[in-house]
Amino acid sequence: MKLDAAIVGIGHSSFGRGLPDSQLSLAATAFKNALADAGIERRDVDGLSIHLGWPIGVDYDRVAEGFGLEIRYVNQAWLHGRFVTNALQHAALAVCAGLADVVACVTAISFTRERGFLGGPGDVEGNREEGGTHGEAPPYGLTAPAGGAALAMQRYMHVYKATSEQLAAVPMTLRRHATLNPRAIMKTPLTLEAHQNARMVVDPLRLFDCCLISDGAVVVLVARADRAKNMRQKPIRITGMQGVRSGRDEFIFAPRGLGINQQSGRVSASRSIDREVFAKTGIERGDVQGFYTYDAFSPLVLFALERFGYCGAGEAASWVQGGRIALGGELPVNTSGGLLSEAHVGGWNSICEMVRQLRGTAGPSQIADAAVLQWGTAWGDSVILTAGVERH
Amino acid sequence: MTHRPRPRIGPDNAPFWEGCRRHTLVLPTCSECGKAHLPPGPVCPYCFSDRITWRRATGQGHISTWTIVHKAWFPAFTDDIPYNVVQVKLDEGPQLTSNLVGLSGRTPEIGQRVEVVFDDVDDTLTLHRFRVLA
Repeated sequence: MKLDAAIVGIGHSSFGRGLPDSQLSLAATAFKNALADAGIERRDVDGLSIHLGWPIGVDYDRVAEGFGLEIRYVNQAWLHGRFVTNALQHAALAVCAGLADVVACVTAISFTRERGFLGGPGDVEGNREEGGTHGEAPPYGLTAPAGGAALAMQRYMHVYKATSEQLAAVPMTLRRHATLNPRAIMKTPLTLEAHQNARMVVDPLRLFDCCLISDGAVVVLVARADRAKNMRQKPIRITGMQGVRSGRDEFIFAPRGLGINQQSGRVSASRSIDREVFAKTGIERGDVQGFYTYDAFSPLVLFALERFGYCGAGEAASWVQGGRIALGGELPVNTSGGLLSEAHVGGWNSICEMVRQLRGTAGPSQIADAAVLQWGTAWGDSVILTAGVERH
Repeated sequence: MTHRPRPRIGPDNAPFWEGCRRHTLVLPTCSECGKAHLPPGPVCPYCFSDRITWRRATGQGHISTWTIVHKAWFPAFTDDIPYNVVQVKLDEGPQLTSNLVGLSGRTPEIGQRVEVVFDDVDDTLTLHRFRVLA
């Protein structure tokens, strides 16, 4: 099966904290905006790919029923941010396989209202028999995804002599990007001093190393590329994909083999299997003009850059200094501010930004002549989006 | 009063927590390849053998990583803030998340040698914790 899919429309609700709207209401706004953007009708959507279901998001059947859709393909992942790439990939696979003509990737999040689920006594999911999937151990007081990210970063800092001051370059850069973005929740510039003086949450993660707890919805419409040619927007091609990496040496919030949970402690630099997304597309890493990633915690940006080989193992904390990941730098990262400063819409706010960049409509954040952008996460999955120009 | 979370005990990990009740750290260990693993599972994650036996561990290891929790996620832990959580790499190989006791305000250190101690929480639950070896 040839991968021949494109993003044909994007829409979002407002982003904020403590929004009074229901998840379904936020989703409806985003859905209408995406249809208008693509220039298609509600009846044209026959597939749904749901990143986060109840209780933080909305389930597929409620979306289909509530919006009066006739759906013939559904994908819904379990309740974790990590499945953002997966939801987009399943939409692409479904349209290529003919299971649907247009798949709506729907993410509608009310983190503010449901934050009890994210940590503390309501962290039922973190208290599995085998421990939580982010390393949670509630009987020992460790809860919420931040706990696992802290354990990983603490070891990373020890092994590679990285510092909190170096890490600060990530949230400071993303904040600078957010100041250019009217949609962003956090628009006050972040200084190194403010980062260092902010309260420690779970050592070594300080307040601004942890993403926003926010509300909002994004809908991304995916169709086969040949069909997309007749739609309103320039199609943004899903040119390459690779899936989540998992196994004994993998932990969701750590470089492979760092020594968290079941990992061996034998750290590996980026391997060719970590970069299949390039090998399959003929695009080289040097062609990538911007990198977008799931920045729930600032260390995840470092780990993602190392995973895809932008720098060597343990080098990312130095590599991100000096404006390298800022707009105008060698590899701009999360140019709308990401989860750390724009909003936490499960990463879909950054997928929207990639589409705007490739359409050339990113305004003051525009990367000049953006044609190739990579989405890639610390857990190893990736999607390469291109502006539709075939590359050889 | 708020209660502290208790481990969720199921068929695969029950022998581990029963061992803690007896003040014995036991690990699921493969009878074919000899490797121990955590969290407890029905097969060996190394050689996929079904022949898992529970063996007594030395109870010693070293700190592989740690954190200090400053946020009051759990009302029941509020009075303990800030408190540590450590990952101990046991000498048998697997890693265990626990707390380090007896630090008197000092910060855990990666590489520190530690050994298990047992904390009888009530009549049905004993939690493992660790202390620094002299």
